[in-house]
Amino acid sequence: MPSGTRNGEIRIVGVTKRFGDMAAVSDLSLTIPDKAYCCLLGPSGCGKTTILRMIAGHETPTTGEIRIGGEPVVGLTPVQRGTAMMFQSYALFPHRSVLDNVAFSLKLRGASKAERHRQARELLAKVRMERFADRLPVQLSGGQQQRVALARALITNPRVLLLDEPLSALDEYLRLRMRGELRRVQKELGITFIHVTHTQLEAIAVADLVVVMAQGRIEQAASAREIFTAPRTAYVARFMGGQNVLSGTVESVADEHAIVVDEHGASFSTAVIGEVPVRGSRLVGSVRRDRISVSKAQGCAAASDKVNSLLGEVHAIEYQGSYVKVTIERPTGEGFVANVLDVDFFRGPLDIGDSVLARWSARDVLILEGAADAGEASMDEAGGVLI
Amino acid sequence: MKALPRLASWLQVAPVALILVLFFGLPMLVVVTVSFFDYGQGRLYPTFIFDNYVEIFSSSVTLRLYLSSLKFALIVWAVTLLIGFNIAYFLVFHVRTLLWQIGLFLLCTVPFWTSNIIRMISWIPFLGRNGIFNQTLEGAGITSQPLEFLLFSDFAVIVAYVHLFTLFMVVPIFNSMARIDRSLIEAAYDAGAGPWRIFSEIILPLSKTGIALGSIFVITLVMGDFFVVKTMSGGQSASVVSALSNEISAIQYPPAAANAMILVAIVTLMVSGILRLVDIRKELIA
Repeated sequence: MPSGTRNGEIRIVGVTKRFGDMAAVSDLSLTIPDKAYCCLLGPSGCGKTTILRMIAGHETPTTGEIRIGGEPVVGLTPVQRGTAMMFQSYALFPHRSVLDNVAFSLKLRGASKAERHRQARELLAKVRMERFADRLPVQLSGGQQQRVALARALITNPRVLLLDEPLSALDEYLRLRMRGELRRVQKELGITFIHVTHTQLEAIAVADLVVVMAQGRIEQAASAREIFTAPRTAYVARFMGGQNVLSGTVESVADEHAIVVDEHGASFSTAVIGEVPVRGSRLVGSVRRDRISVSKAQGCAAASDKVNSLLGEVHAIEYQGSYVKVTIERPTGEGFVANVLDVDFFRGPLDIGDSVLARWSARDVLILEGAADAGEASMDEAGGVLI
Repeated sequence: MKALPRLASWLQVAPVALILVLFFGLPMLVVVTVSFFDYGQGRLYPTFIFDNYVEIFSSSVTLRLYLSSLKFALIVWAVTLLIGFNIAYFLVFHVRTLLWQIGLFLLCTVPFWTSNIIRMISWIPFLGRNGIFNQTLEGAGITSQPLEFLLFSDFAVIVAYVHLFTLFMVVPIFNSMARIDRSLIEAAYDAGAGPWRIFSEIILPLSKTGIALGSIFVITLVMGDFFVVKTMSGGQSASVVSALSNEISAIQYPPAAANAMILVAIVTLMVSGILRLVDIRKELIA
């Protein structure tokens, strides 16, 4: 360990990275605790890979500071930093056997052939690839190549492992298996993992700390549960996908509850903590998709006048196993999604085209920061919302 | 039903097979046959004798010619490899945009827009006794009298060969280098490799197929040449093929044919030696 310490805490302070005129990362600060599994999550071009590469030492920040375990590392090589990177395409050396791929960095350090092969075999055993030691990378499947890449990155005993979209080249089945595997390895080794991904489910499945990014900035950095259940901004709410974003004008404030009405007359109410919003100001909120109940609107249009409900027409019904995703179309604006428990749904099944009334409770409404339309455009690049 | 795909594959190989048989197989057969003929007074006698081969192997000139040709081949190979590898390396790893890469690559081919002979002959006024180079040196006060070794010497032969053949080294090396995934270099850096180890552990081994192909081009071209040697050495040096061409102009076809067969055998050995060291098949398939 050239750095002399095993502390894998990462502190990014005011880092900006420009490529020509374009800022890939602007004035970003983030602390990742030692031994954490951190996911950098965002659509392509949000700067998440640039951050990873700056931590890894493959890119130098234009301004700002990066510390690992308290030491400033800008200008140091990856080995001096005690980091190792697993590349998106795995970057296995095509002219070397699996064993020599894994042993490569030990070879550079002048370890004897017997010694480096012994250690490489040990790591290959850890990722259950010892049987393939003598093969060339082209003779392996994607999942096997990934295990070899993992073993190669771990052989230097790094304090931080950086993974650049490690699962994106795998098929669905392997992806699910490998993400569990990565989490297991991280716990076992007790080192910091930083994992870049554009897949929401992947991030919340593995990470202790999820960092949602957009356009070179951090939108929210929090635990997976918090990101999912308590998004800070409309962007995060939309990007994570478990929420419906509502916006409107504050109509009244009473009993520490604000009532907000949107342009179609639908309204929602929410508890107001702290600063009381001014009447007539804009307010953005979100409500979880799985906290919405849907029923057929039987001619009672008046029901939609009620707070925390809206009328619409069923646009799509997608069966998801444990729940049914019902998309409700409103006259204008974005679709409103309700995830209805399967037992509830099949008690009174709906059909596409049905007029329905969606209702929720005021305590499931969250107030969000920032503009109401944040993230609407970028959702398309992100490949839509998953949940 | 089964015969049809078979027929289709035969049809697919037919054109290239036909060309190989007509323009390579048959002529070779003729040359082999003629190499066993007897000759005299400008006539050929269809016999089956080994005299032509015996004469070649018992003559001391043969060895001298082969050594001279091999010497040129080796020196030119080394120089073109050095220059070609560096040009390819520069184009692939230092030129950042594709447009510049293509532009500079085309620039390398500009000399090829004129004929070989003109390109070679243009060295003569440059390297000659009162040529541009000597005049420049004298004008600058570096030398007081013209350098004699510049023209009509082995030096001139090598300069011309290098000028003519370097591109044959650049192209295949460029090809295999351009295919090296940049993330491999980053992965090596990540593992702790400095510039020299990245070069020796990653770039060089992954350029091997290109080096092998380029080496085959250059070595066979030099081994098969007589015109450059004759012109640039002013007749002082000779190559295997210059002896062969002398025999042809003297209408001594059988010894020329025997000489050609030996040359083919030796060049084939050299090429198969290279192929044994480097597996170029993956380059050709990919």
